[in-house]
Amino acid sequence: MKLLHLVRRGAKAFIQVQREKATGMLDFELKELENIFALLLLGGFAGIPSPPAPIAIELLPYLEREIVVLLARSDLSTDAIGALMGMLEID
Amino acid sequence: MSPHISHKTAFFLGKGGVGKTTLSASFALALARAGYKVLAASLDPAHNLGDALGLKLKSEPQHVEPNLDALEIDLDAWVNTYLEESRSQLKSTYSYNVTLNLDSFFKILKYSPGTEEYAMLWAIEDIHCNLAPLYDVVVLDTPPTALSLRFLSLPTISGLWVKELAKLRETILSKRNTIVRLNPDSPVKESCLDKDDDKVYGKLSSIRQRLGTLEHLFQKESFLNVIVNPDDLSVSEALRIKDELDRLEIPISTICLNKRGMVNGQWHIHQSLASIPLFSFDFESNGIRTRDQLTELGIQPLIDIFFKKGSLSA
Repeated sequence: MKLLHLVRRGAKAFIQVQREKATGMLDFELKELENIFALLLLGGFAGIPSPPAPIAIELLPYLEREIVVLLARSDLSTDAIGALMGMLEID
Repeated sequence: MSPHISHKTAFFLGKGGVGKTTLSASFALALARAGYKVLAASLDPAHNLGDALGLKLKSEPQHVEPNLDALEIDLDAWVNTYLEESRSQLKSTYSYNVTLNLDSFFKILKYSPGTEEYAMLWAIEDIHCNLAPLYDVVVLDTPPTALSLRFLSLPTISGLWVKELAKLRETILSKRNTIVRLNPDSPVKESCLDKDDDKVYGKLSSIRQRLGTLEHLFQKESFLNVIVNPDDLSVSEALRIKDELDRLEIPISTICLNKRGMVNGQWHIHQSLASIPLFSFDFESNGIRTRDQLTELGIQPLIDIFFKKGSLSA
């Protein structure tokens, strides 16, 4: 009974790992898209062509996740290749 | 009188000092005295419409005379209203962030490029959606060219941005959906997955709809008059207005030559403007001091073409 339980848990963990691997690239792509979305909206403050500031201000209250992603991405901006290698699990 | 006019909003555009306020006041008065219910609204921060009509105007419609109401939009109040709405939304969303000094941030935003034009746009939307249904005709006296062209171009330009942002948002939502389908335990499931629940997509759609209404108003429902004087400067500015409005697909209905006879000598309209109906109004050397004098400018031909273009059936 205990063995069966352990096997089940192991199989579940294995499936979850495979799921994480399968969605890793999509997750990276999603974060990039969210980053671009926030950059497009808020880039005007940093000199990037962007829609009129009032549109950004109207959307600002709902952009919490995108701003978190933007800030996290800006931390990695000096090491973009490192971030990509990490995502592809290349040591 | 219950007329049907498809172009029920008349704009008067042109260089500063050419006579936009005088002609818009004269146009509004003549229509009101002909029995149409008219609202004259000044969008010009200089606010001379009240002086022309001989009445102190406010941001709410004031009764000028039978069938004629007038107002001056309070741009500062619109900027404050718009910023206050965003500020309260931001405060409720980011309430945990006590270090975010929103008040000082919003004081600066008041001077951010584009804020004034946006406030003007929402003021026009308010007039178009809430006040215009109460009147047969709305006459808008606009600020000088630069500001007018900026607010006329905003719906088209911002509309393009919002369209592209909405497309990108759809891609983001579709990616989130795919990730959650493949990996139901992914942290992405905490984010919005559906267009109907996503507040960003909802806000983009509502901005797009509002901008679309204004774009339609400018392109399809407006009777747009460009005022010039018999001088090269105002004509050069009219040419710039035409170029810009052509790009925005906003048609110019008429060119109004105001202050005819102010200068001696021959004067001809530029050939690029020659295809647009031209109406002339004589220079009043003694000035215009009363409402009755405003109606003596000879505005009737302009009203006739307004009715013609607007398919009026009185």
